[in-house]
Amino acid sequence: MPKTLFEKIWDSHMVVEEDGRSLLYVDRHLVHEVTSPQAFDGLRMNKRTVRRTDLTFATMDHNVPTSDRSLPILDQTSSMQIKALEKNCKEFGITLFDINSPNQGIVHVIGPELGITLPGTTIVCGDSHTSTHGAFGALAFGIGTSDVEHVLATQCIMMEKPKTFEIKIQGKRKNPHAVTAKDIILSIIRKIGTAGGTGTVIEYRGETISELTMEQRMTICNMSIEAGARAGLIAPDEKTYQYLKGRKYSPENYDESVDYWRENLKTDSSAKFDKSFILSAENIVPQVSWGTNPAMTTDVTGTVPFPDEYGRGNPEEQKGAEKALQYMNLKPGMAITDIAIDRVFIGSCTNSRLEDLTEAAKVVQGKQVSAKVRAMVVPGSQLVKKNAEQLGLDKIFKDAGFEWRESGCSMCLGMNPDILAAGERCASTSNRNFEGRQGTGGRTHLVSPVMAAAAAIHGHFIDVRELDLN
Amino acid sequence: MKGSVIKYERDNIDTDVILPGPYLKIHDYAELATHAMEGLDKDFHKRVKPGDFIVAGKNFGCGSSREHAPIALSYSGIKAVLALSFARIFYRNAVDGAFLLPIEIDESAYKDISDSDSLEVDISKNEIQNLTKNKVYKIKPFPELIGKIIEAGGLFNYKP
Repeated sequence: MPKTLFEKIWDSHMVVEEDGRSLLYVDRHLVHEVTSPQAFDGLRMNKRTVRRTDLTFATMDHNVPTSDRSLPILDQTSSMQIKALEKNCKEFGITLFDINSPNQGIVHVIGPELGITLPGTTIVCGDSHTSTHGAFGALAFGIGTSDVEHVLATQCIMMEKPKTFEIKIQGKRKNPHAVTAKDIILSIIRKIGTAGGTGTVIEYRGETISELTMEQRMTICNMSIEAGARAGLIAPDEKTYQYLKGRKYSPENYDESVDYWRENLKTDSSAKFDKSFILSAENIVPQVSWGTNPAMTTDVTGTVPFPDEYGRGNPEEQKGAEKALQYMNLKPGMAITDIAIDRVFIGSCTNSRLEDLTEAAKVVQGKQVSAKVRAMVVPGSQLVKKNAEQLGLDKIFKDAGFEWRESGCSMCLGMNPDILAAGERCASTSNRNFEGRQGTGGRTHLVSPVMAAAAAIHGHFIDVRELDLN
Repeated sequence: MKGSVIKYERDNIDTDVILPGPYLKIHDYAELATHAMEGLDKDFHKRVKPGDFIVAGKNFGCGSSREHAPIALSYSGIKAVLALSFARIFYRNAVDGAFLLPIEIDESAYKDISDSDSLEVDISKNEIQNLTKNKVYKIKPFPELIGKIIEAGGLFNYKP
């Protein structure tokens, strides 16, 4: 029977399936400091051990400060959580990339970077953006702390089989430097909604996806969860195999692995998906979110919508838009390019990789951050930071007036000192514009790295297609 | 289960408003509970009583995988969230840890139930009685496996 890529990975990891429940084997378990402490406590309480310490990798990313790492951590509760992870990894024998490791970084940046993320594998992590790893043709999903404990103890997870959802993106973008992967995924979420993918695993396919680099594919898969999907997948290809070659944890018999991946990891041509959505890339323009969920997004050339127009006869949607505009302090009809910005954040597991920083630096080079804006760049990992510094990107950003910081989740979720003050408005390359996400009362506009960089320079959004980014 | 309703007429109530990020560093569940719903309703903590139900719209619990969200609600006293639909990770966390029941209701029940109504929820009969309005609503039954995990008291107590 013809199968989709998801079904192939699912079937090859099935330990047992009966009565609608499936026990799935987990190939890689990524652990961070915030969602793991109670799971380790649970293991201790029940005298259990970690079943596969060789398949479990930990780092600290959510609440680590992004300032000078030679200084002590001032926030005592953060410091305790970080120390708890160190202690737990030591006690249970888990590899940890700690705050001083050259491999420390956001868990979804370091997984691929170290070759821990591999095609055809199953990956879990106590973090919803685990969907990122799907860019490599891995079935990867976020789990809560009870499941983290279950996987630590058993290396398996119990699941109901998700449905399959094909999202096909066709055609060529007219200006791929200005219309980025972030604009593609925001366009998709804007159209299918925040629950459009609920209960499904999305496979992104089509000409546009094939043309994307691995880092761009990660941006797409990363935000699958913002459409409610369990996971996002992209079939691996030569770019995938090239990217993973020679990484720290890539398989030793690499060519043999590639032969296997080539043979086995694609959706059969006659396989059927439960659901399909098709989007043309040709007409996508740079996107800016205006509301308080990622579907509340529009074209940079557009205006802030009128709630009744946005609701299209649905009173709940209309009410949602009214509340969002009130929170965001925006007036319907206002041009997106007239929205003035106080802060800029370039970072997060969505957009903090080397290409993101390279593209943003092109906008920034030789210019100055607007006097009204405070802007920061937070590389996704120590390796990204090092590579960027070798290219001189740190100098470009610092000369323009950006802060150049240490790696971590930072202002994406406001768990460390990098937060917005109440009422501050931020152009952010992160993934969630929920109320208070970046700090109580803070207002988030989700954008691509080039849009964020342009907003930093101009103090407001601009149509980045007008810039020379080649 | 009997209790009164705290209603939020909103879709997409996300995990960042249910339990804002800065509190993810707190390990004490009772203390976590004092910050439940803080991103949306600063008075929730003062208002909520043991046994209360939250009633909300579509896609409740969207966003992060933080189990702290259902934990904070549970330790506030919330026994069930009655919503039009749930985001999957929140739903799973609520059931796995036996923190609260994520119950799907239909549009008519959602519209009919008012804030402060007194309800009796009976999952063995798949129904809700509105004691204030003297009405009965059907709830969407739990899938078989989820029903069994709930009955066992969470994932770790469930024996296939």
